[in-house]
Amino acid sequence: MNSAAADGTGVSVRGLTKTFGSFRAVDDLTFEVRPGRVTGFLGPNGAGKTTTLRMLLGLIRPTAGEALIGGHHYADLQHPLQVVGAALEATGFHPGRSGRDHLRVLAATHAIPDARVDELLELVGIPAAARKRAGDYSMGMRQRLGLAAALLGDPQVLLLDEPANGLDPEGIRWMRGFMRHLAREQGKTVLVSSHLLGEVEQTVEDVVIIANGHLVREGTMDELHGDPAVLVRTTDAPTLAAALARAGIASAPEDQPGSLRVLTGDLARVGDVALAVGLPVHELRPLRTDLERLFLELTESPEHRNRNLEVTSTTPAGAAPAPTGARHTDIPPPTGADAPVPAQEENR
Amino acid sequence: MTGLVRAELLKYFTTRMSWSMPLTMFLVGAIFAAVQGLVLVLIGEFPGSGGEVIRPAELFDDLTLARMVYTGAIQMGYLLALVLGILAMGGEFRHRTITSTLLSAPRRGRLLTAKVTGLVLVVLVNGVAFVAGSLLGGGIMLAVGDAAVFPEPGQLLGTPAKMLLILVLWGLIGFGLGVLIPNQVIALFVGIGVTLLIEPLLGFGLTFVDQLKEAARYFPSQATTSVLDLFAGVDDATAQSMGSADPLTWWVGALVLLGYAAVMTLLGWVVTTRRDVS
Ligand SMILES: Nc1ncnc2c1ncn2[C@@H]1O[C@H](COP(=O)(O)OP(=O)(O)OP(=O)(O)O)[C@@H](O)[C@H]1O
Ligand SMILES: [Mg+2]
Repeated sequence: MNSAAADGTGVSVRGLTKTFGSFRAVDDLTFEVRPGRVTGFLGPNGAGKTTTLRMLLGLIRPTAGEALIGGHHYADLQHPLQVVGAALEATGFHPGRSGRDHLRVLAATHAIPDARVDELLELVGIPAAARKRAGDYSMGMRQRLGLAAALLGDPQVLLLDEPANGLDPEGIRWMRGFMRHLAREQGKTVLVSSHLLGEVEQTVEDVVIIANGHLVREGTMDELHGDPAVLVRTTDAPTLAAALARAGIASAPEDQPGSLRVLTGDLARVGDVALAVGLPVHELRPLRTDLERLFLELTESPEHRNRNLEVTSTTPAGAAPAPTGARHTDIPPPTGADAPVPAQEENR
Repeated sequence: MTGLVRAELLKYFTTRMSWSMPLTMFLVGAIFAAVQGLVLVLIGEFPGSGGEVIRPAELFDDLTLARMVYTGAIQMGYLLALVLGILAMGGEFRHRTITSTLLSAPRRGRLLTAKVTGLVLVVLVNGVAFVAGSLLGGGIMLAVGDAAVFPEPGQLLGTPAKMLLILVLWGLIGFGLGVLIPNQVIALFVGIGVTLLIEPLLGFGLTFVDQLKEAARYFPSQATTSVLDLFAGVDDATAQSMGSADPLTWWVGALVLLGYAAVMTLLGWVVTTRRDVS
């Protein structure tokens, strides 16, 4: 895997820390992002994702540690737009300037021709709308314009902060396919942040999960899924478990009566074993990790309880915080379009 | 660097301000120069401090009179230039375009240099509109009042040039202010408030304190007046009777203004390089 890193431009974050006053928004964060893969950068609201990305881009000065792109600080890049493309939340557009002109301004800094601007507007699907004043844009159009801006210099590294926000289902599907295309076919490094694991699970190969500014998990999606497992339901679970054990397959009883969780990915094998001992199979299906639940467990475990939702000493006793009360406000309200993909099968 | 300057110019020329500002400059120049002409040439007399009647047309030679009329709008002009300067940086924060701007130009010193260069060019374009308006408005009044419209063109030519210089310097002062105070509304409030209200009051107050009388000459508006050098060629006594109390040499006045701009921009630069953009 390290050989791939040699070809492309990776991202590395080492001991990165940022305090705002006495508040540690990002706390000793270390992770790597590899080229040729899509990496999900996940964490609940206020976990520090945007702050980390802004430190990578030289917009926020780290209190400690470093955030490097291909071994360089962003500000040291000669032609930054040709190395890194970033679409951050809360990036503004001058309301009186057209989207196309916004891109032309950015393009001018790197002597990128207007033809490239039009090509990208075509790609992100707003060629006509881009000639209107940006003040009238919908959320989704702003998101697409931001993506076009990120792609302007055909960069090696893409840092996308919640790119699916405000996109319609069609837009989200396109976005996912596009990110995979950029990473797999073009070998680019793609880091995409989200507060929903389910939203990115079909897209990303690697994940970096943070909570309250800390790293809680880093690894591949496969590692997160864990070993494959199968659920089987029969009339006599203990007998089946014994037969499976003789065949060298481990299993454990599940909550439902008559159900076993079998540690294999091979459905046919489980069926064959049941047949051999004369037991009927009432249900047989692969078990997938409920990633959304895993994500919640990882990020909401007692030591990672969202600090932004805690009742502080200044809050009057008994006044429970509203679920979204302490959230910072630059997150647009979710729309129907970016709802998570339906939860998968249950387990455990 | 040229790319960054081009981007800054493009920013200006892709919003409505690219035509509304020069238009305003032109109209303001024309109207206020015309009013000045109306007072000095057409009405032609007003009461002096000692109760006597002052007739500017008799008091001044043609050249000075023309200068006074053509520069009649300068205060409004430099206020607009101040606004242009403030908006150059303030607009980036207000519309949160500062993020994209810094992504395309992460070295903040270079960005500021490009912005200053772009601003000087933009103020010059606006300044030309302003001077054209002033010449038109003032010229009409001079002509109607039977005064010389272009007396001694060779010497008069210095006046529009100095007007342009003043606008550029005020644009830079505004830029410094905008960099220092990222909140555009507050920056505009402070800039215009200080120029129109606080500075004149303070200057007036200082005239009562002997040791500080001199200091008022270095205030922005008084330094600006000395840059215009309206009374060049007029004997000192007459100039002083017109309230021009011992002004600075014109280029000293220009350096004073440049000093204000430089100090604020440098302070702003120091703040900018360390400021978090989130
Ligand atoms: N400039 C700032 N000053 C003070 N606190 C800040 C600042 N920027 C961010 N924070 C705080 O740092 C924490 C992390 O914020 P950040 O925006 O990085 O979270 P996030 O992971 O991007 O969340 P979301 O999913 O809601 O976008 C939040 O609690 C936020 O309130
Ligand atoms: Mg965020």
